Formats: sequence, C-alpha cells, structure tokens
Amino acid sequence: MVTKIEEAELSRLESQVDNGGGGAWDFLCLVRKLKVRRSDKVLKHGLSILNDPKKRSALGPDEWTLYEQVAIAAMDCQSTEVAKDCIKILQKRFPDSKRVGRLEGLFLEAKGSLSEAETAYTSFLEESPFDQVVQKRKIAIAKAGGKIIKAIELINKYLETFMADHDAWRELAEIYVSLQMYKQAAFCYEELILSQPMNPLYHLTYADVLYTIGGLENLQMAKKYYASTIKLTGGKNQRALFGVCLCTSAIAQLSKGRNKEDKDGTDLQSLAATALEKDYKQRAPDKLQLLTCALKSLRVSS
Amino acid sequence: MAEDLVLDTAIRDWVLIPLSVVMVLIGILRYFVSKLMRSSQVPDAKIVKEGQLIVRARNLRASANFIPAKSFRARRFYYSNEENGLLFVPKGQAQNAQAQMFSDPNMAMDMMKKNLSMIIPQTLTFAWVNFFFSGFVAAKIPFPLTQRFRSMLQNGIDLSTVDVSYVSSRSWYFLNLFGLRGLFSLILGEENATDDTQRMMQMSGFGFDPTRSLGAEKDGLDIIQHDWALPKFEQHAESVLQKLVH
Repeated sequence: MVTKIEEAELSRLESQVDNGGGGAWDFLCLVRKLKVRRSDKVLKHGLSILNDPKKRSALGPDEWTLYEQVAIAAMDCQSTEVAKDCIKILQKRFPDSKRVGRLEGLFLEAKGSLSEAETAYTSFLEESPFDQVVQKRKIAIAKAGGKIIKAIELINKYLETFMADHDAWRELAEIYVSLQMYKQAAFCYEELILSQPMNPLYHLTYADVLYTIGGLENLQMAKKYYASTIKLTGGKNQRALFGVCLCTSAIAQLSKGRNKEDKDGTDLQSLAATALEKDYKQRAPDKLQLLTCALKSLRVSS
Repeated sequence: MAEDLVLDTAIRDWVLIPLSVVMVLIGILRYFVSKLMRSSQVPDAKIVKEGQLIVRARNLRASANFIPAKSFRARRFYYSNEENGLLFVPKGQAQNAQAQMFSDPNMAMDMMKKNLSMIIPQTLTFAWVNFFFSGFVAAKIPFPLTQRFRSMLQNGIDLSTVDVSYVSSRSWYFLNLFGLRGLFSLILGEENATDDTQRMMQMSGFGFDPTRSLGAEKDGLDIIQHDWALPKFEQHAESVLQKLVH
C-alpha cells in the first residue's frame, strides 16, 4: 500500500524530474520501493542515466538494479530493443543468475511468444519450485493465452502452498467472477476479508457477489456488507449506498406479506437514498433527475 | 589514589593500533570465509506451507467475526477436523524437531560450518593476543569509572591499585570483539555475517517446533466463539449516514 506521504513525495519528485530539475535516481528508487507503475517515465529517465557513463558509474553496484528496472519498464512499454540490450548486459555480468533468467522469461512474454516463455518458466520451476514470482508468471501466461481453466488450476495449486498470499486470492476471485462462478468467488472474498478485515473494497465486492447470487438470505447478508462498507468509508461510497437501496427493495419484494420484523432496514434505505441525493446535488446536479427516478422506482416496488 | 601512569607511545604504536587493525582484518576475513562456506538453502515445502497455514489460520482467528457464521464453521472444520484437517497433527507424526535435526546430516553440517567459522578464529586470536600482548596497559579512557568495571577493563592485570580508567590489552581485545559490529556493518553492508551476538541468539532460539504451533493454532480455533460483527455494522452505518445527511 502507498501511503499519502509517499504519494505526495512521489508526485513531487515526478514533476521535478519531468521539468529537468534532477533527482532522477531518487525518483527511480522511490518507484521501485513503492512498486508503482510509471514505466514510461522509468524508461525515459533510467535510460538517460544509463547512457551517461559518468552518472552510471556513480551508482556503483546499484547500476545493475537500474538495468533490471529499465528492462522491465521497457518491456512494459513494448520497446523490446532496449529491454534486449539491458538483459544482454545483465547476462554478461551475472551469467548464472536466476534473477536474470526470470527477466529472460519476461522478455519472451513481452515478445508474445507465450509458449516459449512457459517452457522457460517450467524448467525454472524444476530447479527452484518455490519461486513465487515465476509461479505467478505462469498463471499470468495461462490467463493471457485465454486458458482460464488452466489459470484457475494453477492459482489453486499455488494457493495450496502460499495460502496467505491475498493478492493471489484476489486474482482468483476476479477470475471466478468473470466466469460467473459466484459461490467460489464468495469464498475467495471471504478469505480476503479475513486477511484485511478493515478494507472496505473487499466488503463491497463480497456484497456485490452475494447480491448477484440472490436469495433472501444472501440478500440480507449483502445488505449487511454494504452497510459495513458504508461504515468503513464514512458513507463516501456511492456503490455501497446504491447497494443498500437495491438490497432493501429486493428483500422487501421477496418477503412480501411475510414477517415485517425488518423494519429498521427501511430506515437505512431512506438514509442511504437521502445521502445519495445530497451527494448528487453537490457534485452532479444535472443527473439528479435520473437518480430520483431510479430511487422512486425502487421505493415503489417496496 | 594511585598516581597517573604515563603510557609509552610505543605501546600505542605497537599494541593498541595493531590490535585494533588486526581485529578489523580478522572480522573482514571471517565474513568472506563464511560467505564462501555458506550453502544456499532450499526451503522445505512442508515448512513453507506450514508457515503460510499458520498465518492464514491466525487471520481466521483474528477476524472471524467479519464473515458469516456458516463460512466460519466451514473453515474451522476445514482446518481442524480430525480426519484430514490442515491443522490437525496425528499424534505419532508429531516428531521431535530436535531428533529430526540430528537425523538430517545437512543441517548438522551447516551448523558445524557456522560454528567453526565462529569459534576457530576467536580462539586463535585470543591465544595470539594472550601470547603477544598480555600484561600491557594499553589505553586510558578519559573519564573515571567505579571499581565494578575493573574486571571488564583490566582483564589480565591483577593490580588493585591501578585506576580503573586504564584499559589492559586483553580487555581492549574484548572491547574490539564486541564493539566493532557497527564498523563492520559500515564496511561490509548491513547484513554481514560477523555478528556474533546475533548468531548466539539464533543458536538459542532454534528449538522451534512447527507442529507444536500448529496444534496451538488448532486449539485457539476450537475455543473461539463466533459472533458475527456485521449486524452491528448496520446500526453503525445508520449513524454514519445520519451524521452525513444532517
């Protein structure tokens, strides 16, 4: 996660570097540390350092890190020539390195020869079966090649060992959602909520999934999770507000004529609707008409 | 009060400085030797998995109240059922980590290498210092100290009349041995292998047994009561919205 202070520092350095104010190396270090994606800028400023022998030698051993960083950025920008040069230099310096081997695999991927990259990664995994990066690359290849089922299999295999890796759980959840396998996706989102219980985004998507599955019980749960999203975001999340409204009306429809114990739910709905109206009034007054129409239709049905 | 001793400058040139320089050089040498001898360890699949499993189970225990009761129960069953639960360790299989370590020759070899690179140079330098530099008063620290520091600063000199602020050569050796860590981390980078104190800590702490912590996690999971936190959130959300609207 990138904190606010780091983000401010990053944008300050970025503008400074862009306007020729120097500090390119600091910028590159920060990009690397925060793992943000600024490939075009990394490529531009990294190359300017690498092409200047004086600046390059001033880096000392960090020179090789920069080569790696620039190579990855170049692949991201599809300038394969630059990437090739960087990797060649690294190969000369570290002939047996696994890290360079990984770069070569990435390069194959960037060129689009997925099957070659896959064989490279597979032989790589035979040597060191616990390389998380390479395993993830294999999953990415499967996904890029459109073999979704294989990707799911691979992620499941990966999660069998590295079951505390929440990024992998998230990837799996998104794939399941894309395949409309909502029960499985719900499980993944539960896992994500467990690992980061205070992250409203997971609550929100979990609620989405539950709402999509449908059924009275799931709708009630979805509503609760939308409510928790509202709590965690301080009511700033429109999707959660809409979600509460939708859930309430859907629940009312399903349990029409049955028990009327769920009275307080309508309170939440009207509150959410008012909050939405207020927000639209402030930020998009011309769309207010649409909103009132939509909300009215929900309320009529309830 | 004893009178001030005047230390010969030759002592500085031939004892104090050579001793320090030799200590630094030996430290650097040891760093490179241990780097050569260090074998790259392949992490064991079971250990990696167990570590991750413990993290996941701990997450479940910590934030169980954020998922519905049904999901929680399913997970608890998955972790701790007596047939093939992940956290369930059959009694016979819970082998002693100590025994396992001694049955694995690689592990013992590794430890021996580590120990050798630590103990041999230390005994050698100690013998060397004892042989050449014993009995010198090598330095004087510029502030007075109490009698308690005598054993620390005047090791090797059995005179109770000498002021405690004088440092004997053997004590200077010990001070260097333990005090050069900061210098090494400057010269050799942050993670150098010459850190004796840390290594001693590692030695004492390796009796760690993953199966035991698995069992502890299982017990922890078994006793927690699931109390779904979400219904409370609904009320919280209401109050949040009320504040927002008005």
